[in-house]
Amino acid sequence: MSTTLKRVHGYLAEFDSVKDLYHAAEHVRDAGYQRWDVHSPFPIHGMDDAMGNPRSKLPMLVFCGGITGTTVAFTLETITQTNFWSHIGLGFLQKIVETYPTVVQGKPTDIWTLPAFFPVMFELTILFSAFTTLFGLLALIGLPRWNHPLFVSKNFSKFSDDGFFVCIEARDPKFSQEGTKSLLEKAGGKNIELVEDEI
Amino acid sequence: MSHHVTFNDLPQGGEKFEPAKGGKLIGAFGLFGLLGLLASAFFFFKNTDTFAYSWLFAVFFCFTFVAGGCFWILLHSASNSSWGVVVRRIWENMANMVVPLAILASPLLIPAVNGPLYEWMGHHRTAAEHAAHADHPTTVKEALHHMAADNPHLHVLVTKFGYMNLNAWYIRFGLYFLVLWFIARTLRGKSLQQEQDGDIKHTIKARQFSCIVLLPYALAVTFAAYDWLVGLDYNWFSTMWGVYIFAGCAWASMAASILIVIWLRSLGYLQKVVTDEHYHLMGKLLFAFTVFWAYISFSQYFLIWYANITEETRFYLTRNTEGWREVSIFILLGHFIVPFLFLLSQQKKKNTTYIGLGCVWILFMHVVDMYWNVIPERGPSLGVGVVVPYAWVQDIAAFCAVFGAMGFLYLRGLAKYSLYPWRDPRLLESVNVVN
Repeated sequence: MSTTLKRVHGYLAEFDSVKDLYHAAEHVRDAGYQRWDVHSPFPIHGMDDAMGNPRSKLPMLVFCGGITGTTVAFTLETITQTNFWSHIGLGFLQKIVETYPTVVQGKPTDIWTLPAFFPVMFELTILFSAFTTLFGLLALIGLPRWNHPLFVSKNFSKFSDDGFFVCIEARDPKFSQEGTKSLLEKAGGKNIELVEDEI
Repeated sequence: MSHHVTFNDLPQGGEKFEPAKGGKLIGAFGLFGLLGLLASAFFFFKNTDTFAYSWLFAVFFCFTFVAGGCFWILLHSASNSSWGVVVRRIWENMANMVVPLAILASPLLIPAVNGPLYEWMGHHRTAAEHAAHADHPTTVKEALHHMAADNPHLHVLVTKFGYMNLNAWYIRFGLYFLVLWFIARTLRGKSLQQEQDGDIKHTIKARQFSCIVLLPYALAVTFAAYDWLVGLDYNWFSTMWGVYIFAGCAWASMAASILIVIWLRSLGYLQKVVTDEHYHLMGKLLFAFTVFWAYISFSQYFLIWYANITEETRFYLTRNTEGWREVSIFILLGHFIVPFLFLLSQQKKKNTTYIGLGCVWILFMHVVDMYWNVIPERGPSLGVGVVVPYAWVQDIAAFCAVFGAMGFLYLRGLAKYSLYPWRDPRLLESVNVVN
């Protein structure tokens, strides 16, 4: 007999088809649950609406990342290669870094040489946006992590093949041992099990 | 998500547009067109030299919409898309405006009009005269070569003779309209046949046809842009030019079609078939082409600016000095940065007020872009300084004439067929599209 302490992770219910899963998600959404998720082998169109998910914060983060990239590139290039900062009265900035205006084909070393810097501004915008997308996404979905409590369930391994699951977590304020179970039963869930996480 | 639309919700026979309902806008276009045509006739006989540039600007501006409409139906059929079925008829009608456009463009065939526009034509005509009066048989090219002995600038005309000669120019002029007319007519024809029998084979045939004519289409738009705009300065060349003009075509015609959809919906049409999703999809394409245009136009500028070759830089020297410099900077801001930031947000693309205002701005910027491409050549080419005084009045007259007439005919033409292809097999897929 095991003596390890266990914590209830939540209820896991299995559904037969995409259709059942979709309607179950609508049920759970309408019951007002916050901390729950659906698991399916493939993406399901319209599932975001069925779950009542708000729009992701990621686009806003990516926009800020992109703007940061543009600004970094602009500052880096103008501060090292032009006299732009001296012209607008911020010459001390150019004393901090070593300014070395590069004259190419008689092009000016003021703000009007900006087109030469566009490629780098463009690239850094893309680079910073891409990084923000990747790392912002990982942060928002909570990856990477060592393990997931649902892997305890033998039945759950079907999620990557032909199983459709809803899991309502115990940390949801509306969670109750009887109420949540009966909700899942009413929504048509099968093989409902209480998943426990080893601490 | 709203109710899933089925065939029972849609009227049999599609929706027919009644011009009387949109009388205000149609009347305004007609009035401006008529006044513009009268003023244009006056200026045409009074100042043929300077007015030729105004007319080219106005005709080319409208050409971009025809080419753009043609591109969107081609792309839609070739890529086997379903989302745009409900707005496809708007593009089909836009592309079919090629016939009135050809009539309005025909003054460019007159030597008194294309002579002041294209200096190379003058040299070629002189060379042809020399060749005709020569003692021994001489070709035009040989005569041109002789002339180049006194005027070294003409050497480039000798080397470009294979492409840049009068006969070829006139033949190509006709070919461009013929290609666009053939594409526009065939695709709308198939779409209309489908309304008779509802057969899917028309969709499949339209796809096969589109894949084949994409190349002739691209060549027609590219070389039309070369012949009509790059030819203004025979020394200049830029391999980016065709793509640059094409990007503007697709951009402006998409903005125009969004505005037409908004207008039709405000009159009570397309209520059940067009949803927020379509505005969003079209807004996304608009955004894509904002970036594409900026990418192409910057690439063109950048290469020329850096390479610093005399023949090439002239184009930008003209446009980066005197008053044109401010216009150039304004285009950078208004043609790229403002629409880019504006179109980033999904909410703005789905809100008809916002996207409508955005599209009006985009059309305005497209006018500025086309003006900036054609008009700076006028002063230097005619040898009257940077800007011809008061010539802007003629530009407005020509613009009103061509754009007004084209808009008037287009909007009235909407009444001829159903506003959307109502028996297209993918209609419901398009109506219920979610992205």
